Parts: sequence; C-alpha cells; structure tokens
Amino acid sequence: MKRLPVRPIAWVLFAAFLVLLPYLFREIRVHIAIEVLIYALFAVSFNLLFGYTGLLPFGHAGFFGVGAYGAALIISHFPGMPLLATLLISTVAGFVAAIVIGAVCVRLSGAYFALISLSFQMFLFAIAYEWRSVTNGDDGMSIARPDLYLPFLGKISLQNFSNLYYLTIILVALGILGCYLFLKTPLGNAIICVREKDVRASFLGYNVFRVKLTAFAAAGLMAGLAGGLYAIYQEVVATTCIDNNMSMIPVLMVVIGGSSYFLGPVLGAAFYVVFQDWFSSMTGYWMIVMGGIFIVIILYAQGGLVSLFAPEKGWRWRKEHESDIEGA
Amino acid sequence: MGLGFEGYVVQVVHGLVYGMLLFLVASGLTLVFGMMGVLNMAHASFYMLGAYVAYTLSAFLGSFWLSLLICPLLVGLLGVVIERFFLRKAYGGGHSSQLLLTFGFFFIFGELVRLIWGGAPLSVPAPAILAGDIQIGRLTYPVYRLFILLFSMLVLAGMVLLLTKTRIGIIIRAAVTDADMVGVLGANVPVVLMSVFGAGAALAALAGVIAAPFSSMYPNMGADALLDCFVVIVLGGFGSLYGAFIASLMIGELQSFGILWIPRLALVFQFLLMAVVLIVRPTGLFGEKE
Repeated sequence: MKRLPVRPIAWVLFAAFLVLLPYLFREIRVHIAIEVLIYALFAVSFNLLFGYTGLLPFGHAGFFGVGAYGAALIISHFPGMPLLATLLISTVAGFVAAIVIGAVCVRLSGAYFALISLSFQMFLFAIAYEWRSVTNGDDGMSIARPDLYLPFLGKISLQNFSNLYYLTIILVALGILGCYLFLKTPLGNAIICVREKDVRASFLGYNVFRVKLTAFAAAGLMAGLAGGLYAIYQEVVATTCIDNNMSMIPVLMVVIGGSSYFLGPVLGAAFYVVFQDWFSSMTGYWMIVMGGIFIVIILYAQGGLVSLFAPEKGWRWRKEHESDIEGA
Repeated sequence: MGLGFEGYVVQVVHGLVYGMLLFLVASGLTLVFGMMGVLNMAHASFYMLGAYVAYTLSAFLGSFWLSLLICPLLVGLLGVVIERFFLRKAYGGGHSSQLLLTFGFFFIFGELVRLIWGGAPLSVPAPAILAGDIQIGRLTYPVYRLFILLFSMLVLAGMVLLLTKTRIGIIIRAAVTDADMVGVLGANVPVVLMSVFGAGAALAALAGVIAAPFSSMYPNMGADALLDCFVVIVLGGFGSLYGAFIASLMIGELQSFGILWIPRLALVFQFLLMAVVLIVRPTGLFGEKE
C-alpha cells in the first residue's frame, strides 16, 4: 500500500487554516495571529544572522524600531501617502540603517559583534528617547491606521481586523519567502559557507565582509518591514519598539523555536506569543516560565521545538556552531 | 555653569563613587571573560540580587552590617551553582550556548525580582552611624557615599593583593592569559574557574549591598548596570582588570558630569564611545594588543 503523503497534506491543511483563520476565531484571537505573523518575520530576519551567518546580534530591535518609527513619521507627516508606499519606506529605512551600521558591525564577530550591535541599538534608542520634538520620547507617537487602496478593489478598510490580517499575512509570507529564496541563491550558500569557516570562504574567493554585510542588510530590511507592520497594527510607536527588551525577544523566539531549521523562528514566534497570551491571563510572571524553557532548550535540546516536527534534524547538540560565535 | 569649586569636587566624588561600584561589578565580569571567553550576561543580576537580598535581610536581621556579610556569600553560592550545574554543561555547545545560557538567567532573575519584591522602587536605610552629612571645609557631603568610596577601595586593595601576591592569584591571572596551558601545568582549572565565577558574583553582590542605601533599587537595575558594565569592559579591554578599573572611573565621571552638562546626550555619547572603541581598538583603550 502506498504511504500517505502526510507532509504535503499537513501543509495544505495548515495553509487552509491560515486562510480561514479570521472566520474560525473571535477578533481577539485574530489579533494574536497578526502579532505572531509580525514577530515571525522579525524572528526569521534575526535568524538570517544568528542561524545562517553565525552572528549573534543583541541589537536587532534597532532595525525593527527604525521601520516602526519610519512608518509612524510618514503617516503623521504625509497623511496622503499610500499604505504600501509607507511600508516600502519602512523596509528601505531598515535596509539603509543596516547597511550603514552593518558596515561597521560585521567586521567583528562573537561577543564583540553582540556588543557592538547592542551599542548601536542603544544609540538609536537614545535618539528616539531624547529627540522628543520628533519622536515624542517615551510617550510615543499615536498614529491613525490608514486605509489601503488597491487597483480594481478600491478602498479596503484596515479597521476591519480580517482585512488587516490578510494584509499582514500576505506581506509577511512574501517577506519570509523572500528570505527563503535569498538563502537558496549562490549568495545564500556563500553566507552559510562563511558561517562554517570564514577563512576557508575567503580562500574560495568570497569577500567575507561583503557576504556578511549582505546578510546583515537583508536582516535589517526584513526587520524594517516587520517594524512598519507593527506600527500599523499597534497604531502607536514608542521607545518599546527599539529598546533592549525588543532586541531580546527574537533571541528567545529563535532559540526556543530552533535556529537550524528555516521555519524554526516562525514556530518560536508562535509559541512565544500564544504562550504569553495564554499564561499571562493566569499569572503576570509568565516570563519566568519562558526563561526556564529557554534554559532547558539551550542545555538539552538545541534543535529547539521545531525538531519535534523535523525528526531528521533531531534533538541534538548543535556542534557545528562551536566555531561560529567565539568570545575572542 | 553655576558650579563653584566645591560643586566640581562634589561632582568628581559622585563620579568616583559610581565608578568604584561599577568596577566591583565589572571586575568579575572581565575576569570570567578572560578565563573562559564567556560574556556572562547574568553577572549584573548578581549586583541586583545583592541589593534586593540585602533589603530583605537587613529588615529581617535588623542589621545592615550582617547583611553586608551574608548577602555576598549567598549570591556567591548562587554563582557557584550556576557555573557548576549549568554553564559547565554548556561547554560542549560552544560560546554561543554559554552566552545564551547566561542570558536566560539574566532574564529569569529580572523576572524573579519583579515577582518577589514587586516593581516599585525600594531602598534600604543607611546604618545610623553613616547617615547624615559630613562637613569638610565649606563642603558638605553625605557620609554614606564616602563610606562607599573607602569600602570599595579597601576591597580593591584586597583584590590586588590577592591577585598579585598569592599563589591562587597568580594561577587566576595565568588562566586569564591561557587557561589550557595552566591546566596542563597542573592547576585544577575547572575549580579555579568555578571559584572565580562565585567570587565575581559575590563581589557584584557586595557592590549591590553597599549601593542599596544610596540608590533606590528597581527590577531593571540589573539591565542598566549590565549596559554600563558592557561599556566598561569594552573600553577597558576584555579580560583586563586594570583597564576595567580605569574605564569604570571614566564612565563614573562621564555620567556624573554628563548629566550635569549634556543631560540629553550623555546616554547617546556613552554608546557612541563604546561603538567607536570597538571599531578602532577592539582590544579596548587599555587592553593588550593581541
């Protein structure tokens, strides 16, 4: 008897579930789904650096924040700007910031890289915090979510949560697909090659600096898009978008979800947000439990949660990363 | 600015006080980094735990001095437990696992403090003998801050003596330079490492206890101290105790005068300085060239 193609069937069911989600759940659940999607894109962008390039950025919220503030500034100063153009600007802002900051950061590795990315994020945070006339400091900027105008379809109100959900899922899916395709290009292979051994990669003729910078810029670009979507979803952008807590969130998500599998961060984001929602209704101290899970995964199951679904990856020590993130 | 000479002196001493506290915290961090190449993110949590445990202990025992003695021991023990039973297991997973593991603890301690002591700022009263101000010439200065300064200098002197004059100190300094070689020469490096980790945690807790009466404590104090410590060990050079000392005093003064002169730019400047040093001289301003 022929074996059922379990995996494709599961994917189709899952896709159908995502499409029908606004009809299956109450509004509050759809909001959680939107949050999962935005964080999923943010976590995938983080993992381009962590899992694929072997760099651990402690300041990834910098680009998320640049995207969010970019969108908020455009919406408040140019109210007529089409929504998709606003999001494009967020994305480009994340990209440009990442090129500039990355040109400095990627020269370093290991703990030095972690710290320099953190210091740039804190630098951006300090600007957002202190430049009150532009950013309104820690009170944050309130923005009205604009409507979406599409050719043929006309005006689509995003006050309707299912429309907002569909917009978010389409853009996030495109972003994640973009990351996936990017990693399949020769350049994506070069990134993995650099992770495994950068000296060897440079002997093969790769410009290690440029390869790392490309990965950094791609990560910043996707984080910028995630930030822009976050601004539109939340309708308020404050320094919490760009502070070190926001930088720590993708670290937790990616480690918990599993960094050695492309969709691990997505699972991690879903787990994090749903867990937060579920647990914080019982206790405000869900973060302790999350931290405990994080430590158990680091110690005993470095494949992360995703390895439950990807048995070929197995629950194992990720030995191959030993040489990537070194202290000195 | 309307500061007279006295004003400047007070400001300089403020900076020294914070700088010395920062050094007590950063010293353990930089030694552990030197020995095992791990940036211990949980380290500043020990400082925070020191302050909070002192809050409870001094209320319970009714004595600040007793908690000054007991609190670092408790937190030092916690450090030993973390090193022995958690970090040591992650050695096989490379530096990234260790860094992430300490991040996990940093995270948990911050939340635990919120759970146990709540989010509102707390403070410990200074012992009666150190309360009030002292008059030196035309200057008045809080006695307690001078105590911090003297006490931390005593600790520093003890540390210097330990590290330069004793056998264990020589082993520790050698292990910072090359842990493998020290192991080959017959020292029990894992035990040394565990002790240094614990002692570093105890020192950070000590700083937390003596900081408790002069600055209020809040659940984010660990994160704030951690950021300052990062700046210190970057400026001072990873693994360099002497560099950490100079850098701590620099950051203390920078914050003391920065808040006075450029309140809105002090924060920006500190991180810009850190970034510039990392780019131009990754071994730190005072670190040895590799």
